[in-house]
Amino acid sequence: MPTCLKNDASHAATLSVRWPRDRRWTVAGALLIGSVLLCGCSESRVKQQLADVEAAKQLRATLVSTATESGTGDAGAAASTGSGWGTLQGRFVYAGTPGDSKPLMVDKDTEVCTKDGVKLLDRSLLVDPSTKGLASVVVFARKASRVKNPTPPDAPLLFDQKYCEFITPVFAARVGQAVDVHNSDTVGHNTNISGSSFNQLIPAGQGTLYKPDAETGMPTMVTCNIHPWMKAYAVFRKDGYVAVSTADGSFTIPDLPAGEPLELQVWHERSTGPSGALVIDKSELKWNSKGRFQVKLEADEVKDIGTIEVPSSALGG
Amino acid sequence: MKLTPTVPTGCNGIGNQPPRATGFQSAWSLVLLTIFFATGCGATPPAWFRPNMVKATKEKLSAQREQQVATIMLAMFGTPDDPVALPETGLDEAKLRLAAGPVRSNIVGRKNGLYREHCAHCHGITGDALGPTAAFLNPYPRDYRPGVFKFKSTERADKPTHSDLVRLLKNGAPGTSMPSFALLSETQIEALVEYVKYLSIRGETEFNLMGAFFELEGEEDELPLGRDFLVGEMLTPVTEKWAAAAGARIPVPEMPADLDLVASVAKGRALFYGDKANCVKCHGPTALGDGQANDFDDWNKPIVEWKKEIAGEKDSKFLARAHRVLDGDALKPRTIQPRNLRLGIYRGGRRPLDLYYRIHAGVNGAPMPAAKGTIPPEDIWDIVNYVRSLPYELDGELGADRPMVARDRF
Repeated sequence: MPTCLKNDASHAATLSVRWPRDRRWTVAGALLIGSVLLCGCSESRVKQQLADVEAAKQLRATLVSTATESGTGDAGAAASTGSGWGTLQGRFVYAGTPGDSKPLMVDKDTEVCTKDGVKLLDRSLLVDPSTKGLASVVVFARKASRVKNPTPPDAPLLFDQKYCEFITPVFAARVGQAVDVHNSDTVGHNTNISGSSFNQLIPAGQGTLYKPDAETGMPTMVTCNIHPWMKAYAVFRKDGYVAVSTADGSFTIPDLPAGEPLELQVWHERSTGPSGALVIDKSELKWNSKGRFQVKLEADEVKDIGTIEVPSSALGG
Repeated sequence: MKLTPTVPTGCNGIGNQPPRATGFQSAWSLVLLTIFFATGCGATPPAWFRPNMVKATKEKLSAQREQQVATIMLAMFGTPDDPVALPETGLDEAKLRLAAGPVRSNIVGRKNGLYREHCAHCHGITGDALGPTAAFLNPYPRDYRPGVFKFKSTERADKPTHSDLVRLLKNGAPGTSMPSFALLSETQIEALVEYVKYLSIRGETEFNLMGAFFELEGEEDELPLGRDFLVGEMLTPVTEKWAAAAGARIPVPEMPADLDLVASVAKGRALFYGDKANCVKCHGPTALGDGQANDFDDWNKPIVEWKKEIAGEKDSKFLARAHRVLDGDALKPRTIQPRNLRLGIYRGGRRPLDLYYRIHAGVNGAPMPAAKGTIPPEDIWDIVNYVRSLPYELDGELGADRPMVARDRF
């Protein structure tokens, strides 16, 4: 009997405990399912800006009408307000210690891809040790109302590669100007200009002509897929108002239209600005957060914007 | 924690409509909610195109500018449920309506919403390759927005012809997740090809427009939002290329009738391993695709480059947003693998002609360069013949140390 009683008691006790415990699981389960339903499917994507439906309807009406507009004009072209031509020049210097260039990872064709036994180096920050001049800075006029030489030069621009390195790390050409993409190495390369659909095999010792048919905006990357460490940048402009700073950091853009406000875009491979725009604090040139500054030239003037110090922070430390 | 870049929202499962906030507290609400979810919503909520968030964030467009772009895109192209095409696009709106919108049928034997039925789960409502299944596929589905297509009969920089896209839909892309849609009717295939062009033209126009907004000076500057600018400068450069594709087929000289195949294969082999054609550098000494294996294609490369670019970013708010965009609006970058040429599987078709096109023009968007210009057509035919012989080479001809598959080498 005592055993039986004890059993009954423990049984009853179990039952009395089991009820609420079961219910707790039910509630917890419902909460879990509920929270999954509520939170689980919500997107963590960045919220998109929704279109203004009314404005879109109005705009659509103007787009389908075949009548040509009058008066809107082409806002892309600057108004022609002067005559004569001027020259812009200046010099970029690096305010900081550049440190040693890192050697590139060369794991293919190693007997050819070396400069007389010296390893290929990263060329994204080229600073002249004596003058501190910063090379490979691109400066171009965003728009100009007049162009002194409307046709690009006939002579092709040589863009060569040797020791598995593009000889010019940054080059500028005019739209429509022939670029002689050449290979002076004893191994085959391919040259891939991103954004242009130009990607061709360049066998050893040969070359091919490429005529850029559109402007690049910011400089575009040139690579060799066979030797992935090879990298250069190209900038193509219709008007040819573009310069790449030389080893001592200096640049010159001749024959710019005088008498009109000009805006120049500045770019460097290592810049932290949007799309590589070089952003410096220089209010006297109205240098903005998109790496653009403004000048106005007089006829026959050679305007020197002086020495522009580029802090290391502007080039990603 | 998020496992996939895209999580379905709403009841149609693949919509891009912005999430709505809801709040329920009592247990009864939960029960109601469960019944609601179990039985469905009835009507399909409207779908929206997703803006190119990577481009918008990269160019640091303000919220106001983003909205302007969305409004212009709505005016020019409509919505996924109600697409419109300006006459300049050359697109047939009737075909688009057959492909667009939710899956439905009003007339016996005719079905609308073909794109969402067959394509959107991988290629996404917007054609941005961010459908719910995209992240699980290898290779990733094609993102139409850059307007770059790999398998075509035209020169590298040109768009594919209409029949190139029809062929791809009918045959699928062997070796990828893209199946054959040969069981669809001609009308349905035509509608889908038209819709793919529409999404591609839309995506490229949006890209141009965002670039134009980036080019502006300050926040107060405005673009000339009239017909001349939007149609003339943003849309027409894209549609002109599509129109030009029709007549831009690569001329292919006939293979000589009295061709000595053994000699041609031997010549092709010499070119494959030689310094002129250089196929060996990427496809590997074994032709198993085990050469260059750390490169990216033109869809993944911008993401890789942007990740590098924002590494030096100091604005923590922007950085947080950029990372969210990378998580939710881009797929994790993957390296591109050179094709294993011993399988006899060719994504763009296995006809000798298809291989000729691939070698002549390269593969647009991929590292594969064009042989055009530096390798004469008869040499290209020799390479084609050698490549076609590769899957059938006898073991004895290969050397004992050749692995069966590329992974055995690593």
